[in-house]
Amino acid sequence: MTAAIHVDRARKTFDLGKGKSVEALAGVSLEVRPGEFVAIIGPSGCGKSTILRLIGSLEEPTAGTVTIDGRPPRELAGAHRLGVAFQDHALLPWLSVWQNVTLPLQVAGVKPDDAKIAALIRLVGLEGFEKARPRQLSGGMRQRAAIARALVLGPEVLLLDEPFAALDAVTRRYMNIELQRIWTESRITTLLVTHGVDEALFLADRIVVMSGRPGRIIENLDIDFPRPRMPALMRTPAFHALYDHLADLLEPAAAENEPVAGGGES
Amino acid sequence: MSRGGANRSGPARAALGIAGLLLFLCAWQAIGYYRLAGLSWPPLTDVIALLADPERWPLLGRALSATLAAMTAGYLLGIVLGLGAAVGAHMFPIAHPGTDRLAAVVNSIPSIALGPVFIVFLSRESTAAAIAAAHAAFIIYVAASSGLAAASRGHRDLLVVLGASRLSRLRHLDLPASLPSLSTGLKLAVPAALIGTIIGEWFGAPRGLGVLIVNAMQNFQIALLWSVVVLIASTSLALYSALSLLERACYARFA
Amino acid sequence: MNAIGRTAVAVLRNGWGILLLIIVWQAWVTAMNFNAIVMPRPLGVLQDLIGFPEVYWKNAVYTIGAAVIGLVLGMALGTGLAILAWLSDVLEGMLTPLTVLFSSVPVVTIIPIVARLLGYDFSTVLAIVVIICFFPAFVFTTSGLKALPAGADDLFRVLGARTPARLLRLALPAAVPNWSVALRVAAGHAVLGAMIAEYLMGTAGLGYLFAETKSDFNMERAFGATAVAMVVSILFFAAALAVERRVKERWN
Ligand SMILES: Nc1ncnc2c1ncn2[C@@H]1O[C@H](COP(=O)(O)OP(=O)(O)OP(=O)(O)O)[C@@H](O)[C@H]1O
Ligand SMILES: [Mg+2]
Repeated sequence: MTAAIHVDRARKTFDLGKGKSVEALAGVSLEVRPGEFVAIIGPSGCGKSTILRLIGSLEEPTAGTVTIDGRPPRELAGAHRLGVAFQDHALLPWLSVWQNVTLPLQVAGVKPDDAKIAALIRLVGLEGFEKARPRQLSGGMRQRAAIARALVLGPEVLLLDEPFAALDAVTRRYMNIELQRIWTESRITTLLVTHGVDEALFLADRIVVMSGRPGRIIENLDIDFPRPRMPALMRTPAFHALYDHLADLLEPAAAENEPVAGGGES
Repeated sequence: MSRGGANRSGPARAALGIAGLLLFLCAWQAIGYYRLAGLSWPPLTDVIALLADPERWPLLGRALSATLAAMTAGYLLGIVLGLGAAVGAHMFPIAHPGTDRLAAVVNSIPSIALGPVFIVFLSRESTAAAIAAAHAAFIIYVAASSGLAAASRGHRDLLVVLGASRLSRLRHLDLPASLPSLSTGLKLAVPAALIGTIIGEWFGAPRGLGVLIVNAMQNFQIALLWSVVVLIASTSLALYSALSLLERACYARFA
Repeated sequence: MNAIGRTAVAVLRNGWGILLLIIVWQAWVTAMNFNAIVMPRPLGVLQDLIGFPEVYWKNAVYTIGAAVIGLVLGMALGTGLAILAWLSDVLEGMLTPLTVLFSSVPVVTIIPIVARLLGYDFSTVLAIVVIICFFPAFVFTTSGLKALPAGADDLFRVLGARTPARLLRLALPAAVPNWSVALRVAAGHAVLGAMIAEYLMGTAGLGYLFAETKSDFNMERAFGATAVAMVVSILFFAAALAVERRVKERWN
């Protein structure tokens, strides 16, 4: 069971108080089909996290609608059918790895299946650390624990907000391969926010490019590299061509902050 | 909808706060008026009437100024002692564990036992200020000690690399970095010093709010007893609020 | 030999201040040639402590009882009310200014009022300890229930956690470190608060013993009572500090 996400002309304005406000999203429309893996890239502050928070029921759109399978996200959250991993791992410091991974089940009132949890922990490469507390883990290990926690409910929608941002390049690549494998097995509808163009290309069926501010979608690119994708893919000319194209799309936003004479046109 | 979210707007919160306060005052009045707690609980209006009665003002005023004078003296002395001990322990780390233990032991002396000691060592008149100083000194010492240790390792290393002496490190880094914590200590020391003063006055000070409390209690002047307590509470609250402002400024500037 | 030397250094490092205090006291009393009725010597106090343990013991048990029961009740009341305030925004909004108001009020000054309301006995002593312990428990628990780890609140919302789950699995565990600070603060004050109340209106306890012996000019026993109260108070504080350390370790 996986679900479709429907974002229809969603706008989001944050009230900053004293009559000021900031427009984070200016009418964003996005369709994610059931079982699709979509990556969102864009300059910092363009509203990527905001989109994810709208779909995760953490924010309400100022205008427009956000639905999952035609229903408000809040219902899916209430039914414990969402999985998330944030940029900062949000592990509870007083619980062990095992307890952190089990937490969503307990919140949902589901009896934890020990074998399944052990398998998940093995999947993210944390066996032997079940009893460790978050502070005893490296940044990458914490992130992996957070991923295991995101998967434990067998969610219908997986929301990942720069889950690998804190990892070194090697671990990150390893996690990318693992994530692809997990996703291929489960085909969960997945929305991944990332700053890594190569990561997006490697993992996604489709890449959505955003521009800031206010945030809007400027490109919607299908990525049809065959699966399973191997790391060797990243060395092919086709991959490089797409990479350069996306990097150019991200360029103007960077140039906005640091104007360089005569530079940055494609 | 979300519990514990504290997501109410400013005016709504203020209205709730005022409602809570009014509810408290009404309950006080009702309990006093209907004698729900016996004769020892006067209606709020009796207490206000007494406090508003100009004939009482000389008595209350004399007591208040005596208490304030003793408290201020003790508070200032407490700052000098507490801050001095903290800076000394900071500058001479070998003395630090011993200073900590001494402070903890002195703090655990019941204030009522300090009374007789100070009467012998000092005088009956200065006992209130001395107990206030003892109370304030401990709080200031704890706050200043943790504040002096608050500067970041990076900043400290920077100054060492720049060749700063111990003293100039204290002046340029540790003391400024300690101000937020110290300001919290200054605030918390106010009610503590006031308690110390009142207890000290019970040991035979000639005048003061503590003396009034004991007299009112012994002579069953219930409204007077409550009025003095209200006066002490208001004084404490006013000073505490003033120092909260100082604290906020310190945090804004130095933290 | 070496071990003894090291112990001596450790004792000196940690205890020089206390030793100095006792030496100054002894020297002062000797130099001024004070009568034991005015100011006893440390040794005289020690002799009385060793000579009449049962007097101290009986009163200490009374004071410890008041302190422990008051501490438990005060902490329970403060924690319970903080949880209720967490559950209800309205209650929280109404209580916050009131507690700020009351926590800056010197509790000791209301002892005479409480005594007039409850009578000059154990219940007054107990009530004072409860009040003294209530405020830190309420204030610290209230802020602790909101001191959530980064992102945890969002996580629980996405997981569809309802109020009971958020309270039990998130807010309460998150509040434990703050709560243990409240316990330390309250434990430190419990014994001394009980002592002051006993001094003013008790019928037994270390504060009462102090008041009685002082008016009989038995200063050695009065100081003995003080010393026992100090030891008890330090033990309370140390126990609470140990709890706090364990909690901090576990909770990061
Ligand atoms: N709670 C909030 N209150 C006010 N403004 C907000 C809030 N959340 C986001 N914003 C604003 O909305 C805009 C988009 O923020 P968002 O977090 O979605 O960016 P992002 O694309 O995820 O950036 P990054 O890549 O740096 O994580 C920013 O300008 C930000 O300042
Ligand atoms: Mg973001």
